[in-house]
Amino acid sequence: MNSSNWEVLSLSEKLGRAFSVSSPDYFWISISFVAVLAGVTLFMSLTAMILVYAERKLAAHFQCRLGPMRVGWHGILQSVADALKLLLKEDIVPDSSDKMIHALAPFICVMATLLALIALPLSPLLTVADMDIGVLYLSAVSGFGVIGILLGGWSSNNKWSLIGAMRAGAQIISYELSVTLSILVVVMLSGSLKLSQIIQSQEQGWWIWRAPIVGMISFIIFVIASTAEINRTPFDLAEGESELTGGFHTEYSGMRFAFFFLAEYINLFIVSAVGATLFLGGWMPFHFGTFAGFNSLMDFIPGGLWFSLKTAFIIFLIMWFRWTFPRLRIDQLMKFEWKFLMPIGFINLLLAAIMILTEFYFFPLPGGHP
Amino acid sequence: MIFYRALASLIKGLRITFYYLTHPSTVVTQQYPENRATLKLPERLRAQLVMNHDASGLHKCTACHICEQACPNASIHVNERANPALSKTELDTFIWRLDSCTFCNLCVMVCPFQCLKMNPTFESSVYDQKLLVYNLAKYAGATSTALMKVEDPEARKKLIEPRSPYDGPTALNGFKLAGIPTEKSP
Repeated sequence: MNSSNWEVLSLSEKLGRAFSVSSPDYFWISISFVAVLAGVTLFMSLTAMILVYAERKLAAHFQCRLGPMRVGWHGILQSVADALKLLLKEDIVPDSSDKMIHALAPFICVMATLLALIALPLSPLLTVADMDIGVLYLSAVSGFGVIGILLGGWSSNNKWSLIGAMRAGAQIISYELSVTLSILVVVMLSGSLKLSQIIQSQEQGWWIWRAPIVGMISFIIFVIASTAEINRTPFDLAEGESELTGGFHTEYSGMRFAFFFLAEYINLFIVSAVGATLFLGGWMPFHFGTFAGFNSLMDFIPGGLWFSLKTAFIIFLIMWFRWTFPRLRIDQLMKFEWKFLMPIGFINLLLAAIMILTEFYFFPLPGGHP
Repeated sequence: MIFYRALASLIKGLRITFYYLTHPSTVVTQQYPENRATLKLPERLRAQLVMNHDASGLHKCTACHICEQACPNASIHVNERANPALSKTELDTFIWRLDSCTFCNLCVMVCPFQCLKMNPTFESSVYDQKLLVYNLAKYAGATSTALMKVEDPEARKKLIEPRSPYDGPTALNGFKLAGIPTEKSP
């Protein structure tokens, strides 16, 4: 099978082509730059608003409540009202805080999420940059956000903030291992770090079911570990309201708090998008082997929609976990990662290697592994 | 073994929350101002103290002061007056302060004649704190048992004197508020 019928054209490539002609049209290039900047801002804030609204509605119905009902139809404008309120609120900075770092920390958090957004393949036609080391880049950049959290907790000069930040640091560094181990399985299966190639390698089926058991286990490990990495319940020790009164963002208010909040929800989106890309085939429609009839039927649904649906599914899973599971203690959290999740990840990786060598998975590529 | 039990309990929790999500009938939230007409309040809700008046508008309070003594924070003041015709004291005004009441229900429980009860009508907010001091008795006069001995309804009417919710020496405490009729204190 050739994957040429799933042509990927990233925005950075388009821009490169626009520059490479003999007399580039600088007017249109600058216009499109502004359009992309506005688009990214709009995309980020819209995604965060929709996710916050979805989270509040889902949380409410998980707990026999109704959630926001007053602002707009079924509270649909609640997020807009909240964003406006946060923007207009007074920004309180503690007297004895490290003012510069305190001001800088939320932007580092948002920066990390923005950088990660670059590599996400939203649809065959909408990818900002399709790097050869896409997966490596994503896992490197998503670990960058912890610096913002650590700086925020440190500069607040508050014991709760500091404890929360240190917990977040320990947690993210620990669970990064499991995330990487589960991602490695897919990287080995598809033989590439390039996200578009990983998606194209799933043309005959998503890795979650094409690699029997191993794919499922690594998907479960990925979901658990990423939930910990984005500091969400049941791993929300970094903010744990009942013990730390808010953790690293205790001393933040107004705009800066909004930035932490924004970063949190965009991170949720990124993690779900990465999970959808690696395990559920990203924008690749649901294909089953070489059954051409079934596959072409599935191709009628556009790639962007497939990607959104898969991402929404994983976001729903993570929200479902948040509103069902109780919070872990810090020692349980560490024990769970180092004594349980990581060994399973290693064994899973080994099994995957054996499986690939023996070609014991559905629809292996003719002529062996790429 | 512990692992499987933990996993089973997690899955059980997920099932329960998913059931709640997919069954909107499990929602317990009351959309209060909108469903005001159809709002169903539980009988046991204690939001307002009222004095039981029978069909002919008579109560059974003998002004015995037991509720006043039982009240833990002096939210009840019973004012009696002398009745020369029956050579007894009888209830004049029954003052209940909603602003200090803790709704402990002790007054209702100690009343030997079941004069008092708690109502679930909870919309009692007002613009002036003074308006939270109520007179619960609708008339100043003897109990229904004593009054019913008088055969003639016209003669009975002469023995009692009507009272409004803001009557008495404690209610409104001598202040005047626009729109609130206050009768002269006895």
